[in-house]
Amino acid sequence: MSQPGTSPARGARVEARDVTRRFGNHLALAGVSLDIKPGESFGLLGANGAGKTTLIRIVSGCLLPSTGQITVDGISPASDPTRVQSRLGLVMETSRLYPELRVMAFLRFIGGARGLRGPDLGRAIDREVGRFALESVADRPIGNLSKGFQQRVSLAQGFLHDPDLVIVDEPTGGLDPVQRNDVQEILGSLGGARTVILCTHDLREAERLTTRTAVLSQGQLVAEGGTRDILGRDDVLELFRMGAETPS
Amino acid sequence: MTGLFALMRKEFSSLFAQPTAYVVLTAVAAVTALVFFDHLRIYNQILFLYSSTTMGGFSSDEIPDYINLWDTVFFPVMETLGMLLIGAVPLISMRVFAEERARGTDELLVATGLTPTQIVLGKFAVTFGFVMLMMLVAFVYPATAIERGGLGLEHLGSVFMGLTLHGIALASLGLVCSAYTSSQLVAAVSAWALAFVLWDFAWVQPFVGEGLAGFLDAISLHLRYGSFAEGIVSLANVAYFAGVVLVSLAMARFSFDLRRVSG
Repeated sequence: MSQPGTSPARGARVEARDVTRRFGNHLALAGVSLDIKPGESFGLLGANGAGKTTLIRIVSGCLLPSTGQITVDGISPASDPTRVQSRLGLVMETSRLYPELRVMAFLRFIGGARGLRGPDLGRAIDREVGRFALESVADRPIGNLSKGFQQRVSLAQGFLHDPDLVIVDEPTGGLDPVQRNDVQEILGSLGGARTVILCTHDLREAERLTTRTAVLSQGQLVAEGGTRDILGRDDVLELFRMGAETPS
Repeated sequence: MTGLFALMRKEFSSLFAQPTAYVVLTAVAAVTALVFFDHLRIYNQILFLYSSTTMGGFSSDEIPDYINLWDTVFFPVMETLGMLLIGAVPLISMRVFAEERARGTDELLVATGLTPTQIVLGKFAVTFGFVMLMMLVAFVYPATAIERGGLGLEHLGSVFMGLTLHGIALASLGLVCSAYTSSQLVAAVSAWALAFVLWDFAWVQPFVGEGLAGFLDAISLHLRYGSFAEGIVSLANVAYFAGVVLVSLAMARFSFDLRRVSG
């Protein structure tokens, strides 16, 4: 029950209990436990190969954990991926789009796949095209857009069905400083309305966009707490640097 | 169903956004036309030869039975078309799943909430649609041969059905190969290899026992397809092609489960 005069926090709760994932002999995640609260902007910080992408693939139901359990609002993506995916928006790297499709056709496809149709689909597309300032490129093939616009398209598809949980993987990777700033501004404006999990290896990005952060290093959760506190800890930063120098 | 239709629309857009589809359609139409007219030319030359030797024009009674439109033109064209499909269909099926994997969009697709079964059904349906379009384009000239040669509409239907089922079976094999790799080249080469192996086992028969030879005969594409080309529609042959499609669907669907487990 929410307190009188306050609205309940919107968004999904994500809980991970002792999640381990192996790929052959390689231990990608080693007993990770997390509790991400509804409406939280949560950072997953780590160098390349730290296990961030493996963790979000498990949360999104694309990968099964070797042991342990993850739930999204109490639903396990391992046993009921479709229900989890219906309340999840996944924003991946810009290269993971369909370059041959025009922006509107792509958004219509994603909306349709999400079960939106008719006026609802039109309204959702208009909303996201406006939110991510895609009007000028709506009829252009995605492959012809700049990286910055491609990232906006990727973000727009993730928000199309107004999900409770949005997972954003390396949103500014490969962008120039201006594009990076644009995307970060957009992401910053989305906080609070839903749970956002941001995977990044950019410390400043995490500081700017998240309130709480977990640091992964070589598959292990090495720190968790308020983003500013975490980024102020020398031991964590040292681990992060070591991880960044370790070839993945 | 909304999701399935959205995926099918996207698959059609992606298919026709790339030159491969147009190249394959054009090549199949062009090669079929060339092969057809070449056999027709040979047939006409044979007829001319017979008419020349009799000097006073020929009557059909004097032409040997084996010189007819069916054996000289139609059947060889159908044989060639069957082989041509083995070469052409994997060029279309190779990208369907492999490209998604290579780009990493397979996970985007799964994360939209489409079930693996919907994804597989949508992709198979669109590829089958393209195969049917290819058949329509390729079948124009053979159809005129059947019509002009007086072989009848029933025969025309049987042959078209055989060609389409043959193409669909090849597409199914190609899609399975595509579902297990991120390389379009590997998908195409493995589909060609599989199709050529399944095409005809006659060469293997001297080396194996009678039982195995019978089994290999039963699973050979050529035998099943040839039966349709002769105008025979048997339930066993339709069931065979349906079986190839169903097994392929199940295997492609399984690739999604395997990926969740193996990464």
